[in-house]
Formats: sequence, C-alpha cells, structure tokens
Amino acid sequence: MAPPIELTRRRFLSGAAALAGTAFLASCAGLPGGANARTLQFWHLLSGADGVTMSGLIDGVNAAQTDYRVRPTVLAWGEPYYTKLAMAAAGGRAPDVSVMHASRVVGYAPGGLLDTWDTARLADLGVDASTFTDAIWQKGFIGDDLYSVALDAHPFILMYNTEICAEAGVLDGDGRLRPVTSPEEFLELGRAVAAVSESHGLSFGYLGDGAQMWRLFYTLYTQHGLEIELPPGGPAVIDEDAAVASLGFMQQLLDDEIASRSADYQSAIAEFATGRSGLFLTGVWELRSMQEQNLPIDATIIPALFGTPSVYADSHSFTLPHQSSPDEATRDLVYRFVADILKGSFDWAEAGHIPAYLPVTQSAAYADLLPQAHYAEAAELVKYDPPAWFTGSGSRFQADFGAAVQNVLLRGADPAEAIARFRTRIDQQLRTPNPADPEGAGA
Amino acid sequence: MTLDTASGRAGLADSAATRTIVTGRRAGHRRRHAGDRGEQRIAWGFLAPFLVAFALFLVWPLLHGLYLSFTDQSLTGAGGSFVGATNYIEALGDPVMWRSLGNTAWFTVLSTVPLVLLALVMALLVQRGLPGQWLWRLSFFMPYLLASTVISQIWVWIFNPQIGAANGILEALGLEPIAWLQNPDTNMLAIVIATVWWTVGFNFLLYLAALQNIPETQYEAASIDGAGEWRKLFSITVPQLGQITVLIVILQVLASLKLFDQAYQMLGGIASETTRSIVQYIYESGFVGYRFGYSAAISYVFFAVIVVIGVIQALVTRRRREHS
Repeated sequence: MAPPIELTRRRFLSGAAALAGTAFLASCAGLPGGANARTLQFWHLLSGADGVTMSGLIDGVNAAQTDYRVRPTVLAWGEPYYTKLAMAAAGGRAPDVSVMHASRVVGYAPGGLLDTWDTARLADLGVDASTFTDAIWQKGFIGDDLYSVALDAHPFILMYNTEICAEAGVLDGDGRLRPVTSPEEFLELGRAVAAVSESHGLSFGYLGDGAQMWRLFYTLYTQHGLEIELPPGGPAVIDEDAAVASLGFMQQLLDDEIASRSADYQSAIAEFATGRSGLFLTGVWELRSMQEQNLPIDATIIPALFGTPSVYADSHSFTLPHQSSPDEATRDLVYRFVADILKGSFDWAEAGHIPAYLPVTQSAAYADLLPQAHYAEAAELVKYDPPAWFTGSGSRFQADFGAAVQNVLLRGADPAEAIARFRTRIDQQLRTPNPADPEGAGA
Repeated sequence: MTLDTASGRAGLADSAATRTIVTGRRAGHRRRHAGDRGEQRIAWGFLAPFLVAFALFLVWPLLHGLYLSFTDQSLTGAGGSFVGATNYIEALGDPVMWRSLGNTAWFTVLSTVPLVLLALVMALLVQRGLPGQWLWRLSFFMPYLLASTVISQIWVWIFNPQIGAANGILEALGLEPIAWLQNPDTNMLAIVIATVWWTVGFNFLLYLAALQNIPETQYEAASIDGAGEWRKLFSITVPQLGQITVLIVILQVLASLKLFDQAYQMLGGIASETTRSIVQYIYESGFVGYRFGYSAAISYVFFAVIVVIGVIQALVTRRRREHS
C-alpha cells in the first residue's frame, strides 16, 4: 500500500496554482483558433434544423483560421430574442455581432441600438452591392447607412409531392407543376390534388399563428402590384379591394376540401410529411425536415395569381448591436467572420434558404441543388414587411394581423370587416412614435 | 407598544433586572431602559434585512414606476422626458386597455365561481363521502404543483382542433368539433377550464383544513337530534365555512386578476381581442412595444382598479360581519 501523501498547506496551495495554470494553458491550446484567437460573441435566433446548420457553418469558419473563435448564443425566436437584444444594445454591452430579420432593423436603427457597417471595409472583403440582388442589398440600408448584411432570403414557397401531383395530372412534361396564373386555376389545381390525396389537397397551417396568415396574405396582396405603406403618423395605405380579394381567396382555399379550415402549423407539417396531402404552403426553412422524410418533393415559387410575380420573404441579416466602446481589432474580425460565413453559405442553401451572396447562388453547384434551384428566382421577387418600427418577423404587427383575420379563415367572417379592424389597429400604432426613438432624435 | 411590553417582561426575567428590584425601584427603571434600548437594537437588526429588501424591491420600484408613468421612457434606454399626464390620458382613451381590463374582469368572474364551488364540493366529498382519502387529496392537489408552462402545453394538446381529447369527447357524443383556443366564442372558456383544473387544488386544501376544524361532536349531537346528512350540511358545515369562504373568495379574485401566463402560452398572443388580459397588455406595451412609460401608466390604472375592488370587498365583508 502506498504511503499517504503528506499534504501541507503550502504544498496544497502550490499544487492548486500549478493545476490552475495547466488548466488555463490547456483551455487556450484547446481553442480551434489557438492561444491568440479573439472570441467573438454572436447572438442568433436559429433553432431546430436551422440551428444545426448554423452550428456547422460556425464550426467551419472556426476551424478554417486562427484569428478568431465565434461563440454563439442561441435565444428563443421572436419577442424574447428581440427584447433581449434591444436591452443589451441599450446598455451598450451587446454581443459583437447578431442575426436579425432584415424587416426588424428599421425599428432598431433610429434609436441607436445598431451600429452601422462600413461598406468600404466590407468591399475589401469582397462583399458589396455587386454580390447581392438589389432588393436584398438595399434592404440593409436606412438612408445612406448600411445597418444589416443579409445572409439569405427565406421566402414563402409552394412545395409539392411529385407522386401525388403526377397522379392528379397537374405536372407538365418535365415533371414540374403546371403553370397556374389565376385564383380560379389555383383552386382547380387544389381540387384536382385533393381528389387523389388521402386528406386534403393542400396543407396550410395558420391557427394561432399570425406570421403564417401574414406570409400568405402579403404574398397575394403584393401580387396585385401593390405594397402596403405605413407612413409615420399614419394613416396606413392599404388597397381595400386588393386586401379583400387576397383574404377572400385564402378563405376559398380553406374549404375543408382543398385545405383544412382548422390546421395549425404543426398539423400542416404532419399532414404533408406523412404523404396525406400533395401541396404545402410553407417557408423554405422547412425543406430540410421534409427531405428527411424521404418524400418525393419538389418546390416552386407561389404562382402569380393576381398578375404580378411576388413573394413574401425576409432575410436573416448580420447586424452590429450598439457597443459603447467597440474594440476595433475585434470589429475587424467581425467583418471577416461575416464575409467568411457569406462565402461559405452553400450549406445554408442546402438547408433550403436562398443565400444572399450571389457568387454562391450563381455557382454551378447551386444550379444542381434541387429543389432549391427551382425557387431561386424568388430572390428577385422578395417583398419584405412594410417598413415601420412595429413591423417585421416575430413582431406584434403580424400577431395583430392574425388576431384580426383569423375568424375570416376559421369561421367565414367578412374579409372587409377584418381588414378594417386591422387598419384601425395599425393606425393606432402609426400614431405612436417609435419607442426606441420617441423624441425622433435619430430620424 | 408590543415590543416595549415584551422587552419589559424579558428585563424582569433577567438576573440583573431581578437584582435591581431588590436594590431599588429607581435604579431598576434605569437598567430596564438600558435593556429596552439594547433589545430594540437587536430587534431592528433582525428586521433590517427584510426592511432593506422591502425598500429595494417593493417601495423603490413602486415609486420609480410611478415616476416612469409620467415620462416617455423606452425599454431601449431612449426617451425619459417628463410628459405629464399624457400616458394616463392615452391609456384612458385606449380601447385595447379597456378591452383588456374587461377581459380580465370577465375571466375573474368566470373562474372564481367554479374555483370556489368546485373546491367546496371536492372537499366535502373527500372529507365525508369518498373512501381512499389520500388518493383524492393527492389527485386534486397535484395539478397545482405544475408550472404554467407545463399545464399550458397539456391543455394546448387537449384543445387541439384536430387531434385533441376535448374534440374527441365532443365527436364521441355526436357533436361538432370546436377550435377551442382559436374561436373567440370559446377561447376564454378554454382558459378558464385549464385554470380551474390547474389551481382548484389550493382552495380544496383550504376547505379541507376548515372542514377538519369542525368538531365531530356537533355532528354527533345533530344525529342524536335526528338530523339527516343534508340537514347537517346546511345547518352545521356550510355556516361554519363562512369565514374561510370569504378568505378564499378574496384570494381567488386577486389570483384571477393576475391572469397572464397560461393565457399567453396557450394562445401564443393570438385571438387576443377576446383574451388579452390587462397584465398581458402591460407586458406587451413595455417589453414588446418598448414603451416603459406607457406600460407603467397602465399598471397604475390597474392598481387603482384593484384598490377599488379591495375597498368594495372590505366594505361587503364588514357589513356581513356586522349583520351576523
């Protein structure tokens, strides 16, 4: 038996110090970036399949260089994320870089919650207007200042089960969905697919989900060649006829034959994923989970039913939350990190999103990526939420829209009344100054 | 006053104080005063942590909130200018605030009645009727231990329009399915049902404790006089539960006025015109809309409503007591 170690206080303390030193060195050596790598704090709101993909992208850029190491913090999507980000920026001790929906930036920037991007520094890294579609690049600007750099466009699209649609006889010679150009034709398409589907022709989940109702509505509304305008102080500019026609069409779709009148988001996913419906109105972010079901699927942009090709979308965009005293060396590395992610965003395309960085979407590899390439043109047609301090993904604006129109879809209430109710609520919001900038100092 | 009396008694028990009684009344007084001061210091020492916490986390936020309600302070740090009564004027003319107050009041009425009556019936059944009391006590109280997030998830599933148990029961009875949480005619009812299931256990426990305090001899005496079970219920049990019922109603009204978490989670903020509570509107204004000043003003309007309800309750209770 070994003799017990005689442990004096001095020996214990020197041993503990040695252990702590070893641990410190080991932890430095353990960083992919090495001992000199700076840690970049990165907040985002991507969870589920998107979260896994983003982790892969971060691991990739961490492993590819030794200057920085990105430490991501993932927060819950929607209100919780944006509240925390606003408070962190208000305190001036925000993370080095964050992901926001491009549509939310307009509410943050005037109040000084975001720092601006230096376009010259980005251009040095190969990121400028020429590497984005105009609509997506311009969305990052408020006035002359660039506040966000888009990673992607994630539009609302139409997925379809090729086997069911073939049986319904709605595919063309190339095996793709036959062109449809009017609401009536789309209703016929839905009925034809419903006739051979186990449950409904089309899956669309909306109950209790204002964002879902808004995504489809705004796609249809902007297909009239119009956009909703929300001037500060109000009133909102909404074309009543176009709004009622769009909502009325949604009401016609949800007739319990073409699509269920009482499906929530998860029910719709389950219906399409189990092969009980042939069409699915959804966001591109669901593509990977649908592919994992081994369904025979293809996808397309939502057909232009009211004359003008257009689609609701948003962009996950990189922003610089306000820091009171940013470290310039760290900020340099943030620019590099963003450029590295953009250039490596092919994996993001595989997850279904349309990368904003054109060299990726113009590559031969992307052209071979199906069904992504079949809806890539959506990047040219994107329509974001009408800009106002209270709009955007995960905002109360979308929840308010849902609250106003849900009864139209669920119980056949009058679309015109619902639009009037929505307008009243929006006008009330428009009369309220941007709370991030109530005195209008940043305007 | 109570402190002085207590310390005076303690001083008498002290051996030094006992000696002063022997050696002279005047000296005894001096020593007792010195003892009083020492013990007062100790008492304040014990009270200090609570007083600090009370001042820091209750009094200061209350006063600061009142101040904020007169400013355009934003959660984002912007604003902060004094705007006078602007927020209050806006709040009093805000239809969403009034609707939210109305929803809260309606929920309080809808939930308080079953939460008191059901708790009483359950307690009576367990105390006097059902065998296996421990199992019933456990079953009735268990939901109360669950977090609101858990019960919200459970009831969202139960009320799911396509696969939920609630519609399963309706269909088994030959009735049409309902979109419980999405239909504005039923969503408040759905929240009330979930809340009653969740919280009735607490009131049940209070009633059970009160029932156990009624002396068994009264029932025995009544039996000897030939009283049946119903007679005993209405002549002994119910009158003896008067005080606890008043307490339960007061506690329940206050609890129901705080409606927020289960409704918010079950509805995801949608269908809010019929279910948005005043607390949810305070949260939305402050934390989603970033308008801290306005949010504080609505809080104080709600505070005023609670004070009015409290005064009415106090008056009714006093009149009842004087009458009895």
